[in-house]
Amino acid sequence: MNSKNILYIVKRILLALLTVWVVITITFFVMHAVPGGPFLSEKAMSESAVKALEAKYGMDKPLMTQYFTYLKDVVTKFDFGPSIKQRGRMVIDVIADGMRTSAKLGLIAAFLALIVGVVLGAVAALRRNKIVDKIIMVLTTAFVSMPSFIMGVLLLIAFVIRLKWLPGNGATAGGLVLPIITLSLYPMAYITRLTRSSMLDVLGQDYIRTARAKGVSKWKIIFGHAMKNSLIPVITYFGPMIAYIVTGSIVVEQIYAVPGIGRFFVSSIINRDYPMIMGTTIILAILIVVMNMVSDILYKVVDPRIKLD
Amino acid sequence: MKKLLAVLLTLAMVVTLFAACGDKKPADAASEINVCIASEPDTIDPALNSAVDGATLIAHLFSGLAKWAQDENGNLIIVADAAQELTEGVKNDDGTITYTYTLRDGLTWSDGQPLTAQDFVYSWNRACSLELGADYGYMLEIVDGYEATQDENQPDAKLNAKAIDDKTIEVTLTTDVPYWNELLAFPSYFPVREDVVANESWATDPATYICNGAYKMTDWKHNSVITLEKNENYYDADKVTMDKINFYLSDDANNMLANFKNGDWKLIDDVPTNEIATLKTEYPDEFKVVGQIGTYYVCWNINEDILPAGSDLEGAEAEAAKEEIRNAISLLFDRNYIVDEIAQGGQVPASSFVAMGLTDADGSTEFYKNAGPNADFDGYYNVAADAQESNYNAAIEVLKKYYDYDEATGKFTNFPSLTYLYNTSEGHKAIGEYLQSALDGVGISIQLENQEWNTFLNTRKDGNFSIARNGWLADYNDPISFLDMWTSASGNNDVQYGKGANKDLKHYSLDLTPYGVDVKVENGTWAETYDVLISTIKTCNDTEVRYQLMHVAEDMLMATGCLCPLYYYTDLFMISKDVHGFFSNPLGYKYFMYTTIG
Repeated sequence: MNSKNILYIVKRILLALLTVWVVITITFFVMHAVPGGPFLSEKAMSESAVKALEAKYGMDKPLMTQYFTYLKDVVTKFDFGPSIKQRGRMVIDVIADGMRTSAKLGLIAAFLALIVGVVLGAVAALRRNKIVDKIIMVLTTAFVSMPSFIMGVLLLIAFVIRLKWLPGNGATAGGLVLPIITLSLYPMAYITRLTRSSMLDVLGQDYIRTARAKGVSKWKIIFGHAMKNSLIPVITYFGPMIAYIVTGSIVVEQIYAVPGIGRFFVSSIINRDYPMIMGTTIILAILIVVMNMVSDILYKVVDPRIKLD
Repeated sequence: MKKLLAVLLTLAMVVTLFAACGDKKPADAASEINVCIASEPDTIDPALNSAVDGATLIAHLFSGLAKWAQDENGNLIIVADAAQELTEGVKNDDGTITYTYTLRDGLTWSDGQPLTAQDFVYSWNRACSLELGADYGYMLEIVDGYEATQDENQPDAKLNAKAIDDKTIEVTLTTDVPYWNELLAFPSYFPVREDVVANESWATDPATYICNGAYKMTDWKHNSVITLEKNENYYDADKVTMDKINFYLSDDANNMLANFKNGDWKLIDDVPTNEIATLKTEYPDEFKVVGQIGTYYVCWNINEDILPAGSDLEGAEAEAAKEEIRNAISLLFDRNYIVDEIAQGGQVPASSFVAMGLTDADGSTEFYKNAGPNADFDGYYNVAADAQESNYNAAIEVLKKYYDYDEATGKFTNFPSLTYLYNTSEGHKAIGEYLQSALDGVGISIQLENQEWNTFLNTRKDGNFSIARNGWLADYNDPISFLDMWTSASGNNDVQYGKGANKDLKHYSLDLTPYGVDVKVENGTWAETYDVLISTIKTCNDTEVRYQLMHVAEDMLMATGCLCPLYYYTDLFMISKDVHGFFSNPLGYKYFMYTTIG
C-alpha cells in the first residue's frame, strides 16, 4: 500500500463524513418543515400537556439550537436521544435491536446469493448453450424480473399456508428461512448472470488461450486465472448490494413479520418521531457510504490495473 | 487455505439455517396460547398507553379497583378487582361525591411487595400530571382537583384522592357519573409503584416491569413477541386458566392471516380488507364481528362557504341556509351501500353522531334510539334501505331552494366545487370515491385529496379543509365522550365550532328551563350556548336530566349539519374454534385469562 493509496483512502473517508453530515442536515430541516408533529393524535392533548412534553424533549428551543445540540450529541457521544413514540426506549437500542435481525437476515441472504450465484454463473458459462445453461438462464431471468413482494407472498402461501412446513412469522428462528430465501433470489440471479457474462468474456481472452496452449489443467485455468478476473463486476455489485439488502428489506420484513429495521423507516416518519427518523437515517446513510467505499477499495485489491484517484 | 475457510463458513451458515428450523415448539395445548393483536405497542405503561392493543396487554398485567368480566350468561359486567367491592358514593353538600374503597387482604406486586392504597393515589396523580404528558391524562378529569393539576402555575396541585390507611382509598368526584366504575377499569386508573416508575424505561423490559395483575411479563423480544405468564401473586390466580400467553407482534394483516390459517396463532385482531368477503364464507365460525362504540363520519368545516356565488344571505341567515344545505347533503348518501359494498365488515349504517352501543339514562336503551325527531325511525335520519329514495327526493327539494336545478339532467348547476380530504388508505379512498360519485349525480363536484396521517391530523385540526373524513371511538360508555369534543376550546373541534368566522356569529339558541336548569339564550354564539350546555352537563347531578341535556347537545350538533355520520364501527377479528372462554369489551380489549384450548 503506497502513500498515494493511503491518501486516496483518507480522501474517501473525509468525503464519506461530509456525505453523512449533509444527510443529517437535510433530514433534520426537512423533517421539521413537514407539517404535523410527534404530539399530534386522533384524540388531541391539552395545550399545557403538549407544552410540557415539548420542554421535556427540548423542542421548545429555536430550531437552530436544537440542530446544534443534536449534532453535538451525535458527534461527541453517538447519542441519538430517546424515542418519542416508544416511550422509555433509547433510539440507539431500538435501532440496534432491529439492526441485529436485519443484519443477520441480510448477511446470510447476501452470502447465499454470492456463493450460489457465482457457482451457477460459472457452471452456466462453462456449459454455454447447453441445456443446463438454458435452465439457469430461464430461472434467473424469472427471479430478476419478479419483485420480492410477489416472491415473498408466493413462498408464504406455498410453505406456510399450504404445506405448513415453516412458520410464517420472523419471531421464531425457523421463521427467517423464507425471508432469507426471498431476499437472496434477486441478487443471486443477478450475480449468476453477471458471473456468466464476465466469465465468458474472460474465457475468450488471449491469456487463457496461452494457458491452455501451455497445457495448464482445465480446473487450474478456471479457478486460478478465469475466476479471479471474472469476479470484478461481482465485487462492484456486492458492496452496495449488502447495504441494499440490509436496508431494503422493508417489504420482505413486512410480509414475514420480521422484527428488523425496515419498519422503523416508515413508522417513525408517520409518527413524526423525530429522534427515530434521524437515528435510522444516519445509521443507514453510514452503512451505505461505508459499503460503497469498501467496494471501491476492493477493486484495487482485486485488480491492480484500476487506478484510484 | 482461504478457500477452505470460505467453504467451511458457508457450510456452517447453511447448517445453522436449517438447524434453526427445528426450533419451532408447538404450543402446549392446555396452557399456552399464541395470539396477535397488533404490532409492537408504543408503550405498556398503564398511564401512558392510549392504544387498544396496549390496553389489552395492560388489562392482563395490571389489576385496578375494578375490571371487565363476563357473568355466567356471557354478559359483560364491571366487577371489583383489587377493591373488595364497588361501593356507592356519598354526596357532599357542595355537590361533589366521595367514594371510599377498601383493598382486598394480602394484595402484592409481582415482586412480592405489598400493594397499598398510597400506590393508587400516587398513580392517579401521576397519570394526569403535566410532567408525564399522557394522551389520556384527561380520563381523570372527573376527579375533584383535576383542573388545578393542569395549571402550569400550580406544580404541586394534587387530585382530591387520599389514602386513609394502607388499605383504604377515598376519592372525591366533581359530580356523580354513571360511568365511574368503568373508569376504574380503565388503564389510566391502574396502580403503578413509585420506585418502579422512577426508572423511565421500566415499561420496556420484563426485568423492571413490576405489575399486579393476573399475569407478569416474562419476555419481550421487541417487535417479535411479548410473553405473559400467570402471576401466582394475583389474588384470583386459581381462576386464571391460561398459564402462558404469547402476544406476537405484527402489523401486517396478510401475515396475521397466514399464521392464523396455518394454525400457529389462535386469534388475530386484523384481517386484510379485500379478504373479508371470502373469510366470511370460508370461516363462518371463526370470523367475528362485534360492536365497537364509535362512529365513522364526514365533517364539514363550519366556516366553508357553500352558498352559490352571488347569494345575498348574510350572517345568521346565511348560516341557517348552510345548515339546511349540509343536512340535505347528508341525506343523499346511501349508507347501506357504503356498509354492504365498500366497508364490508358488518358495520351498521349510522343515523346519529353518538354511536350505537352507548346507553341512555336507564342503562339499557340505546342512546341513539331516543335521539332525533323520534319519528318512526331511530336517530336523525331514516337509514333503512327503502327510505333512500324519499331521503333523496327530500334533499333535492331543499337544495332547489338555494341552487339552480336543471330538470332535464337532474343536476344542480351552480353548487361551488368542494374538496374532500381523507388520510391515505384504500378504505377511506373507496368511501371518498363513493361520496364523490353520489354528489356528482346531482351536479355537485368534489375533488378528492389525500394526505399522510400526521399531516392530515394537522390540516384537519387547523380547519384547512372544506369536508374531511373523520371517526371517533369512545373511551367509556357515556355519550359525553362524543359531545364535549365540540366545545370551542376543545383540541378535537375539527369542525371549528366557535372559531374563525363562526366565533362571533350570534345564531344559536339554548333553552334549558324545561329541564329545570336556569339557562336561556337566544341568538347567542357557540360559546354562549354549546359550551355552556356542556359545562352544565358536566356538573349535573341528576342522571335523568343529564341524559336529556346530552340529547339537547346532540340535537344542536346535528342541526348544524356539520357532522354527517356514515356508519358505526365494528371490531373484526378471527378466533380459532378451539378457544373457549374468550371475551372482548366494547372498547375492543381482548381477554384471554379465562380461555382454554380444546
